[in-house]
Amino acid sequence: MGRLTSGRAGKKFLAVTGLFAMGAMLLLPIFVALPALAGGGAPAAGGPPPDVVAAQEAEGAEGEEAKVEIGRDVYYKTEGPVVGAPAPKTQDTAEFYPRYNFESRVLLWVANQQHLYYGSFVLAVPIFCMCIEFAGLVSKDKEMAKKYDQLAYDFIKISLTAYSLTAILGGILIFTFLTLYPAFFGYLSSIFRPVMHIYALMFVAESGTLYIYYYGWDKMKEGMLKWLHASMSVVLNVIGTVLMFLANSWIGFMMSPAGVDEQGRYLGNIWHVLHTALWNPLNVHRILGNMAFGGGVVAAYAAYRFLSAKNDEERAHYDWMGYIAMALGVAFLIPLPFAGYWLMREVYAYRQQMGITLMGGLLAWLFIIQATMIGILFLTTNYYLWQALGRMTGGERFQRYIKYFVFILVVGLLVFITPHTIVMTPAELKAMGGQQHPVLGNYGVMSAKNGGINAIIMTTIASFIWYQRGNRVPAVKWAKFGNIFLITFFVVAHLNNIWVACYGYFIPANVRIGLSVPQVAGTLSCLFIGSALNLAMLKQSRELGPIRWGQIAPRSQYALIMLATAFTWMMGLMGYIRSSVRLFWHVNEIMRDNSPWAYTHTIGFGANVISFNVLFFWITIMFVFWLGALGAKKAPVPATQPVPGTAPQPATGH
Amino acid sequence: MTWLKLVEGYMPMQMISELACSILVFALINWSLNRAGMGIPKFWAGVGVWIYIQLYLKYRIYPPIPFSVRAIYGTVSACGIFMWVSGSEDAWQEFKRPVINVMDGISGFHKSMRTVALIVIPLALGGFAYNSFLPSFEEPIELRTVHPAPPATTKVHGKTFVLQVVENPYRVNNEGKYDQAYTDARIVEQAMGRLMKDVNDPNYNPWDPNAEGYTKYVREGGEIFFQNCHFCHGDNLNGRGLWAYAFNPIPANFTDAGTIAQLQETFVFWRVSKGGIGLPGEGFPWASVMPPWEQHLTVDEIWKVVMFEYWHTGYYPRTWD
Repeated sequence: MGRLTSGRAGKKFLAVTGLFAMGAMLLLPIFVALPALAGGGAPAAGGPPPDVVAAQEAEGAEGEEAKVEIGRDVYYKTEGPVVGAPAPKTQDTAEFYPRYNFESRVLLWVANQQHLYYGSFVLAVPIFCMCIEFAGLVSKDKEMAKKYDQLAYDFIKISLTAYSLTAILGGILIFTFLTLYPAFFGYLSSIFRPVMHIYALMFVAESGTLYIYYYGWDKMKEGMLKWLHASMSVVLNVIGTVLMFLANSWIGFMMSPAGVDEQGRYLGNIWHVLHTALWNPLNVHRILGNMAFGGGVVAAYAAYRFLSAKNDEERAHYDWMGYIAMALGVAFLIPLPFAGYWLMREVYAYRQQMGITLMGGLLAWLFIIQATMIGILFLTTNYYLWQALGRMTGGERFQRYIKYFVFILVVGLLVFITPHTIVMTPAELKAMGGQQHPVLGNYGVMSAKNGGINAIIMTTIASFIWYQRGNRVPAVKWAKFGNIFLITFFVVAHLNNIWVACYGYFIPANVRIGLSVPQVAGTLSCLFIGSALNLAMLKQSRELGPIRWGQIAPRSQYALIMLATAFTWMMGLMGYIRSSVRLFWHVNEIMRDNSPWAYTHTIGFGANVISFNVLFFWITIMFVFWLGALGAKKAPVPATQPVPGTAPQPATGH
Repeated sequence: MTWLKLVEGYMPMQMISELACSILVFALINWSLNRAGMGIPKFWAGVGVWIYIQLYLKYRIYPPIPFSVRAIYGTVSACGIFMWVSGSEDAWQEFKRPVINVMDGISGFHKSMRTVALIVIPLALGGFAYNSFLPSFEEPIELRTVHPAPPATTKVHGKTFVLQVVENPYRVNNEGKYDQAYTDARIVEQAMGRLMKDVNDPNYNPWDPNAEGYTKYVREGGEIFFQNCHFCHGDNLNGRGLWAYAFNPIPANFTDAGTIAQLQETFVFWRVSKGGIGLPGEGFPWASVMPPWEQHLTVDEIWKVVMFEYWHTGYYPRTWD
C-alpha cells in the first residue's frame, strides 16, 4: 500500500481513481434520469406540464377517476395516463410561424444541416482516434507506434476546433427553431423534456472528456497513463454515441411517433417516445454514415495537405494519413448500404405510404441521385486503390486487370442507378409503348439493384485484397491452394449474386426480401473470409519492394477529395429525403405543418440548397484545416528523414 | 439486328451479356493486335469503346431507350473508361499522348489537327448553345410519379379501409380463412406463357365448374375484368387493350415486374377504387384516365378483380410479414 501511494505508482493510483470518479460524474445524468426511463406508464420526471396540472386542478370536485384520463399509444397500442398537452393545431400566422422575408424552412434546413455535418465529424473522429491510438499501443514496432500516436493526435486536433463550431451551430439551430417554429419546438420540448436535459448534460460531459483527452495527451503518454488516456477515448465515444442516439430519437419521433395518443398527448412513458419504430435503424445507419463521412473529411484534409506539401517528407506523411483515413471511412461505407436497406425495410413496415413516397413515388428520383452518389463513392475508392498500387513495386501485376474490374463496377452501377420512373418526353413515352421499358424496367426494381450494389461491393473488396498484396507475394506453403480458393470464392459469390438477383423476379416480394440475406452473406463472406485468408497468406510473404509513400499520382488525391465531397453531398441529400418524407407533417400524422412551406420542393431547388450546404461546409472546414495547420507549424517535420522507400516520420512533439 | 432477337423474359440479362461479350471481343482484338505490334492507341481504344456503347444502346435495344437514361449510361460508361485509361500511370501517359501531341503540334499533321480543333470545338459549343435557345414545340419532359403514395386510409362505399392492415377478404383457403401462401400456390406459372399449373384440377383452374373458394373468386374477378378492364389493360393484362393507344401514357402493363408485383394488394385496391381522378397531389401530372371504379363496382367486385390480376400475371402481392 505504501508503494501505491508513493512516487509513480501513487500517481497512477490517483489517475485511476480520478478517471473512475470522472466517469461516474459523467454518467450521473443517466442515473438521474433512470426513474423516468424505467417508469413504464408512470409520468415523466418532473410530472405533467403546468397547463395540464392547471387543467386537472380546475376540475375541482370531480372524482379521482375523472382526473386521470387514459390515452392509447398510437404505435405501441398500450394505454397510459395522459400527462401532456395535445399537439398544437397551428395556423399560418405569425403566432405559430414568425418569419423574416425569407423561407423559414430553408433557414432551418441550412442551420440543421451544418450542425449535423459538424456533429457527425466530431463524433466520428474520436472513434478513429480511439482505433488508431489503440493500434499504436499494441504495435510492437516502436516507430510505427509513434506514427500511429501522432496520427491520432493529428485527428483529434482537427476535431477540437470543429467541436467549438459544432456547439455554436447547435446554438444557432436552437435559436432558429425557437424564433421560426416556436409552436412546434415547444411541443417537441414538452415531449422530450427529460431527454433534452440529459442531452445537455451529456454534451457538457463530452466537452470535459474531450478537453482532458486532448490536453492530457503529452502528460499521459507513457505506461499505465497512456492506457488510461486511451481508455478515456472509449468514455468519450460512449458519451458521443449516447448523444447521437438521443438526438436521433427526436427525428425518429417526428417520422414515426410513439408514446403519445392520437392527439399527440404524452402518455408518460419516455421509453416509448424514444424507442420508436425507426429509432434503432436510424441509430445504426447514422453511426456508420458518420464514420464514413468523418473518414472522407480527414482523407480530404490529408489530400489537401499532400497537394500543397513543400517537401517529400510531408508528402509521404499525408499520403499515409490519407490512406488510413480512406481505409477507415470505406470500412464503414461497405456495411452502410445494408444498414440503409434495413432502415428502408422498417420504413415500409411502419407505413407503406412512407416507403412508396420514398422509393417509388415523389422522392424516388432523389433516390436515384443517391444511388449515383453511392456508385461514385465505390468507384472512387476503387480508383484510389488502383492508383495506390502504382507506389508499390509489384503493383503493376494487378493493374493489367483493371479493365475487367471496371466492367463489373460499371455494369453494377448502371443497374443500380437505372430509374424505375424514367424521365422522358411524351413522344419518348409513346415510342416506348408504356411507362415501363421491357428491358430496362427490370433493372428498376429492388432485386436487380441488390445484385448491382453487391457486385460493386465485392469488387471493392477484391481491390482491397489486391492492394494488400501490392508489393508482396504470399510465401506460405499452401499459397497456390489459397489463391485458387480465393478466386473461386469470389467467382462463386458473384455467380450467387447474379443468380439470386434473377431468381428474385420469380418469387413473392416478401420472399425476395429474404433473398437479400444470401446476397449480403456472400458479400460479407468475401469481406471477412477473403480478407482473413489473404492476411493469413501474407503472414509469411516475400516483399518485392517498399511502399514508396508520397509517390502516388496526384489523381489519387483528387479522388480522395471527390470521395469526401460525394460523402458530404450524399449526406445532405439523404437528410433532405428523410425529412421530406413527412410531407406536410411536423410530427407524422400527429402535428400538421400549416406553414406556407409545407410542400415538397422541386428536385432542382432541393439540389441547389444541398449544394449550398456542401459548399458552406467545405469553406468553413477549410478554415478549421487552416487553424490545424497553424498549430502544426510549431512542430515542423524533421527535414533529415529519408524519403523514398521509407514510411513517413511523424513530428515528435505536440 | 433482326437475326439476334431480344428474347422476352431474358432481355435484361441478354443486354448485359451482349455488352460483356462485346468488351471481351474488343479486349481479344486489342491483345492480338498488340502481339502483332499493331496495338490500337489507348486514346482511340477508349473513344471507340465509348462510341460503341452509345450506338449499342441507341440502335440495339428496342423499344428505344429515353434520352435521360442514355445520358446516364453514357456518363457512367465515360467514367468507367476514364478509370480504365488512367488506372495506371503508364496507361494514363499513353492515353494522354495523342492529345498532348496535338496541343504541342509536334508535326505538321498535329498542327493542322490543332487548328481544326480550335475551329471545330468553339463552333460545336456555339451550335449547342444556339440549339438550346431555339424555341421548341415538343411537349415538355414530365417527371411523372408512377406509384404515388397511397393515403393511410381510404373510404369506399362509405366504409373506411386502413390500407396498412386491411386484407383481401377473398384471398382465403378452403376453410375460408385468409391465407396468402395457399393462394400464392394456385396462381399461374410466371414463366413465358403464364400457364395454369393443372388445367384439370379445380384448385388451379378457375374455369373448372367445380372450382370453389379462391379459384371461384378468381373466376368472378376475371369476369369483372373482361367486362370492364380489358378494353384498356388488354386480354393479357399487358396494357395493350383495344383502346390502349388512344391514351398517352398507355394503360399500365400488369405483367411488367415494375407494376403490381411491386405493390401491396391494398394499394391496387385504392388505385382501382379512386381511379386517375383520385390520385393525390404528388401524382402530378396525373395523366391517368382510369375511372374511379367505386362508382361502377362494389367493394367485393374490386377485391375480386384485383385478385384476378395477381392470379393471371403470376405475381404475388407485396407483403411485409
